[in-house]
Amino acid sequence: MTSARFRARFRLKDLLAEALAGLFTRPGRSLLTALGAVLGIASLVATLGIAETAGAQIVTAFDELAATSVVVTNERGFFGGETRVALPWDSEERIARLNGVIAAGTMAEVNLAGRLTSAVPVNDPLGLTEFQVPMIAASPGLLAASLGELSSGRWFDSGHSVRADRVAVLGNGVAQRLNVTRVDQQPVVFVGDDSYVVLGILEDVRRQPELLNSIIVPEGTARELYELESPTTVQIHTEIGAASLISTQAPIAVSPDDPGAVQVQAPLEPEEVRADVEEDVNALFLMLGGVSLLVGAIGIANVTLVSVLERVGEIGLRRALGAGRRHIAYQFLLESTGVGFFGGVIGASLGVLVVVSVSAVRTWTPVMDARIALAAPLLGGLVGLVAGLYPAWRASRMAPVDSLRAGMG
Amino acid sequence: MNAAPLIRLEGVGRRFRSGTIEVEALRDAHLEIKPGEYLSIVGPSGSGKSTLLNIIALLDRQTSGVYRFEGSVVTELSEGYRTGLRAHRIGFVFQSFHLLAHRTVTENVILSMLYNRLPPKERKPRARAALERVGLSHRADFRPGRLSGGERQRVAIARAIATGPAILICDEPTGNLDSASTESVLDLFDELRSDGLTLLVVTHDPAVSARAERTLQMHDGRLSEPS
Ligand SMILES: Nc1ncnc2c1ncn2[C@@H]1O[C@H](COP(=O)(O)OP(=O)(O)O)[C@@H](O)[C@H]1O
Ligand SMILES: [Mg+2]
Repeated sequence: MTSARFRARFRLKDLLAEALAGLFTRPGRSLLTALGAVLGIASLVATLGIAETAGAQIVTAFDELAATSVVVTNERGFFGGETRVALPWDSEERIARLNGVIAAGTMAEVNLAGRLTSAVPVNDPLGLTEFQVPMIAASPGLLAASLGELSSGRWFDSGHSVRADRVAVLGNGVAQRLNVTRVDQQPVVFVGDDSYVVLGILEDVRRQPELLNSIIVPEGTARELYELESPTTVQIHTEIGAASLISTQAPIAVSPDDPGAVQVQAPLEPEEVRADVEEDVNALFLMLGGVSLLVGAIGIANVTLVSVLERVGEIGLRRALGAGRRHIAYQFLLESTGVGFFGGVIGASLGVLVVVSVSAVRTWTPVMDARIALAAPLLGGLVGLVAGLYPAWRASRMAPVDSLRAGMG
Repeated sequence: MNAAPLIRLEGVGRRFRSGTIEVEALRDAHLEIKPGEYLSIVGPSGSGKSTLLNIIALLDRQTSGVYRFEGSVVTELSEGYRTGLRAHRIGFVFQSFHLLAHRTVTENVILSMLYNRLPPKERKPRARAALERVGLSHRADFRPGRLSGGERQRVAIARAIATGPAILICDEPTGNLDSASTESVLDLFDELRSDGLTLLVVTHDPAVSARAERTLQMHDGRLSEPS
């Protein structure tokens, strides 16, 4: 009589159906239970997506600008201490000779000793048309080196500098303030008592943005009128990949006796920058995501345990109807896994939504590995599975008699 | 009737220990139930009736004595096999129905067939037949909340008999019912009995036990012939 004929069994399909029924008996609660997993997965997906998107963004911006810029200055550190060596007036030619340099230009701020700038030669008692405008003495190559664009007219050349001509280019901001909009009729501006013919208007620059709010004159002119001693900055535009080599050669070119006396700002290697940024962002936010996932797991474990305790009667009934300990354990395990899985699905959708919104706000192109979004529900399921282990074990340990008695009523 | 006993208890006892206090809820019980019998056990509350039933239904284990189910000594069976016997050979009815509130009557009946080897496609027809047997075909798609107490207990009975068990074991089946419902359940027992089902009913109500062919008394953990 004792044959395998009566062995209890529980088909996988039935197990799934029972677990799903458990989930959808109280959909509201299941959703709340999943909330932790939803938030955890959402922040993980959002983090990875934003990191990836931002990373891609940095690499793009970086390739265009920073990777091709080298700046040499003769100033000491951040605090603008004493000038140590004078950069030579022919720095532009010296640098331009180096292999890999596309353009170079020098510049220096001119001390105007309080002279004001105006568009008309009037002695205006109210000072309404006179402004304090910084003056920058620049070399002919600076326009190209700073990736500047003129909206009208032209930049000065070495001839203007050699002759110390009274010519100037106005930065866009200055041109607006002085109400100079076109240069075809050779407008004149006054700096103190000196008049300058405006050659052009500088519409925009990608580097050295202070140029846009300055009046820019040839170096020779500044030397003669304001005793400018030397350029303070050399802006170099290099070919892609040449920046790090140029950054070692440029100091020698402009200061052969003491190359260490000048400051060089050169870009980091592209790979380094990208790795650094991605690692920083990732490490921080992944940690956050991990923590919220842990909290989510604890939440699922907690609610599953409560649900086990609430359903003692049902557990007892199922045991009486022939469910083994394993069957009870599987059922609750599958329920918590289901909660985690659906939490993962919702969380992944939210996460993707966040990535897309952030990208839209910052006008980035969202970049995301599709595998992340697909793996998220699986991770959620795994979290649910782990969270369900203890409650399921507890449920399976309950003796049928005790749970039937406890579940009375 | 000289058939081999379905159930045979030889000196079965059950002791409960909670801390230092020991309760001997069942002492030296001897009992034979033959296939097709309708047996009731009557006794006051706390006399050990449920303790005895839980052992017979394989929901609990005795602490002394020998229990044979269909000839096998149950203490020698693996846990998996005992579980299987519950799924296939034993139908249990509780005082408090134990129906799942969120499932329909049919789904509740099908629950008893999830854990046995019945082919899944037989579940629905069997559930339908069991509901018809207890006279509740017209309630098949109701949820338990909309049924009367007597109807609920009949659903529980349908659930217990749907698997085709060897014995139907009922612990105070009328304990939560009014007299009309009690009557309908007792009538159903009579019908099941005449269909050939073995019935073991435990109750504290002499009127209920009187409906059985044979009645035993339970007092203070001891089983005895009625005085
Ligand atoms: N798990 C248990 N632990 C300790 N004592 C128990 C346990 N189950 C039952 N008892 C005791 O055994 C005795 C018989 O209980 P029970 O079989 O439920 O009686 P009945 O069903 O006849 O009312 C009671 O005194 C009860 O307190
Ligand atoms: Mg009892």
